[in-house]
Amino acid sequence: MAGSGTIQLRDDDDIVLRVENLVVEFPVGRHQVVHAVSDLSFDVRRGETLGIVGESGCGKSTTARAIVQIPRPTSGTVVLDPGSDREAELTALHGESLREVRPRLQMIFQDPISSLNPRRFVRDIVAEGLAIWQKDHSGPHSQARIDEVLEAVGIDPEVAATRRPHEFSGGQCQRISIARAVALDPEILVCDEPVSALDVSVQAQILNILEDMKQRYGLTLLFISHDLSVVRNVSDRVVVMYLGKICEIGAADTLYSSPAHPYTRVLLASAPEPAPTVDPSDAAIGDEIPSPINPPSGCRFRTRGPRATDLCAAEEPQVQQLGEDHFVACHFPTLG
Amino acid sequence: MNGTVNGQPLLSVTDLRVGFATQRGLVRAVDGVSFDLFAGKTLGIVGESGSGKSVTAKTLMNLLPSYARVEGSVMFDGRDVRELAAQKEKHFWGVEMTMIFQDPMTSLNPVKKVGEQIAESLRVHLGRSRKEARDEAGDLLETVGIPEARKRLSQYPHELSGGLRQRVVIAMALACSPRLLIADEPTTALDVTVQKHILDLLDELREERGMAMILITHDLGVVKGRTDDIMVMYAGRTMEQADTATLFSTMRHPYTEALLETIPRIDMPSHTRLVPIPGRPPDLIDIAPGCPFAPRCRYSVDACVVECPSLEGHGTAHVCACHKPVGTEAGIAARAANEQQGTTPTGLDMGLFEGAGSRSGTGAGN
Ligand SMILES: Nc1ncnc2c1ncn2[C@@H]1O[C@H](COP(=O)(O)OP(=O)(O)OP(=O)(O)O)[C@@H](O)[C@H]1O
Ligand SMILES: Nc1ncnc2c1ncn2[C@@H]1O[C@H](COP(=O)(O)OP(=O)(O)OP(=O)(O)O)[C@@H](O)[C@H]1O
Ligand code: SF4
Ligand SMILES: [Mg+2]
Ligand SMILES: [Mg+2]
Repeated sequence: MAGSGTIQLRDDDDIVLRVENLVVEFPVGRHQVVHAVSDLSFDVRRGETLGIVGESGCGKSTTARAIVQIPRPTSGTVVLDPGSDREAELTALHGESLREVRPRLQMIFQDPISSLNPRRFVRDIVAEGLAIWQKDHSGPHSQARIDEVLEAVGIDPEVAATRRPHEFSGGQCQRISIARAVALDPEILVCDEPVSALDVSVQAQILNILEDMKQRYGLTLLFISHDLSVVRNVSDRVVVMYLGKICEIGAADTLYSSPAHPYTRVLLASAPEPAPTVDPSDAAIGDEIPSPINPPSGCRFRTRGPRATDLCAAEEPQVQQLGEDHFVACHFPTLG
Repeated sequence: MNGTVNGQPLLSVTDLRVGFATQRGLVRAVDGVSFDLFAGKTLGIVGESGSGKSVTAKTLMNLLPSYARVEGSVMFDGRDVRELAAQKEKHFWGVEMTMIFQDPMTSLNPVKKVGEQIAESLRVHLGRSRKEARDEAGDLLETVGIPEARKRLSQYPHELSGGLRQRVVIAMALACSPRLLIADEPTTALDVTVQKHILDLLDELREERGMAMILITHDLGVVKGRTDDIMVMYAGRTMEQADTATLFSTMRHPYTEALLETIPRIDMPSHTRLVPIPGRPPDLIDIAPGCPFAPRCRYSVDACVVECPSLEGHGTAHVCACHKPVGTEAGIAARAANEQQGTTPTGLDMGLFEGAGSRSGTGAGN
């Protein structure tokens, strides 16, 4: 169960982002560390959406932030466009050279309203990024770009020129955040719970917009959410995380129709309308997540896993391949 | 609305209206809501943000600010709840009728040990001694499935996880054996696993104690398996109300249908195009005449803009407020006509719904 390994990485020309052996630790108190992300590896192909799911505290946001190097990971590598002439290993870059690649990775967050500067007009907020990253931001090219992205997310550019964020609803503010990110023409858009704070009716609007933006601008998405249905809907591939470790990774439909990791099965069976592919009894699990300061030995999931044995306590499972695009880290996976 | 139980409903709400006088004008937060709830049953209230779910609950709980204007009647077991409020009856709320909120910290005192918080309610309302109250508090924490319950009595709320905190709040709510428990988004902030445990727990407790429950949520999936009846609210009004099975098998209101279609389901293949509900709910200050959903509705006809539909019966215990109900001849024709036109009488572009439900084109992953 929740384990390590790199066999899930693909040998492919078209990888845009490769995260390898990512570790993020936060020192707390005296000689203690929070093991927020521990030896996590995955890659994302150009144009693909990778979903990351898992319970609160499993390290989803920490992973996202480590990718954009805020803060930098404790160890591991984050490579943009591996193998191409644009290849950049972010953890090795500093100062100006890191600043130069930053626009290639943009992020949007859960709380759309507080992530926008309340004192500025919305159009200026969207222009802000261009102003920072490009010297010719006031040129006609940039102005046209701002209008275009605002229109693409369904915000009237003229209205945006005279209004501030608080005059827009939460859903509209999330559209504005998307426009701001996309204006910079990033390769990768990292979305951390982008619809979690929104009403269900607005959620579909935003998810459809993300899908449209992906098509239109050839974006690659990293999509973080604790909502399993939302993640399946937007993702081509999904990673399930538990306590800083990878449990299972694979093509979205494969993972949902034949979940192999007991934790994936727990999640699918606990959903308000449980997935038909699991049994209600698969949901049986305690509430208490172990502390990431003292994670369990061996497989970190073993204290909650119904199938755990001595082996699980002694040995950390390595990621193994189950199908063409289906990988699991568990000593006793459910085989479809 | 509930025909399955004999005798009197425990709670009977009739034509409830709640307005807030604000600087901008009167906010009609609840605008003519009626329902009955029988002992041992669960009513689900669903609807978008701002539809009046919490205001309805707070009215029942006598938690509205003093500038709220309330009309209509709320009867609890033959007693007029608004009169109890006027008489400042303090052994009613928290005893016979009680409420839990989305954020457990709303109900918890951060600087007081959880054991003391539960015991206090037992002493005040039920006149228990200190020792008795403390013992009972421990029993209650066990009842709600808190591991090592006795040890937790001397912990502070911040020392507990979100799920455990919500269990403590449930224990507090149960302390005086309420007959009605109102749960307002009790699990929205919690992980799916914890959410399931809390909802299972509430179910069990209701069953064991014959308690009635109102479960408020914006998630139709949550109410689907856990309620006897559902009321769908929009702009402070009841749009549709039925027993849960009927509502899901033969929903009549376009808003109910839209809410259901807009949510991705876990068994939908990846990249299934979602059906958005275009636009947003109306401003509750200047509510236009006609149906409040008309500007967003795929079924709307000219009459919808001028004439407000009233609640009408559709079979036993199923009511719906709509001129062109889903699945009826009139509804099917109205939607088809709008599709043909490409737009609705309110100017809604029917193209917004095109391609919905199909798989959208994807990137390299497929
Ligand atoms: N700056 C920090 N200092 C100490 N611990 C931290 C810090 N940031 C995160 N953590 C811890 O790291 C772990 C992972 O946190 P993270 O925010 O990545 O989780 P998450 O999966 O995004 O959860 P959520 O669903 O609640 O957003 C948690 O135990 C968290 O408490
Ligand atoms: N004290 C108040 N003063 C003025 N307006 C109020 C007050 N309380 C609520 N409202 C308004 O009443 C309407 C209904 O609010 P309510 O809180 O009942 O919505 P809800 O259905 O519970 O939404 P949510 O899903 O966001 O919790 C909203 O438009 C809200 O702004
Ligand atoms: S058909 Fe008319 S009455 Fe019915 S919901 Fe739509 S707009 Fe309202
Ligand atoms: Mg997070
Ligand atoms: Mg509410």
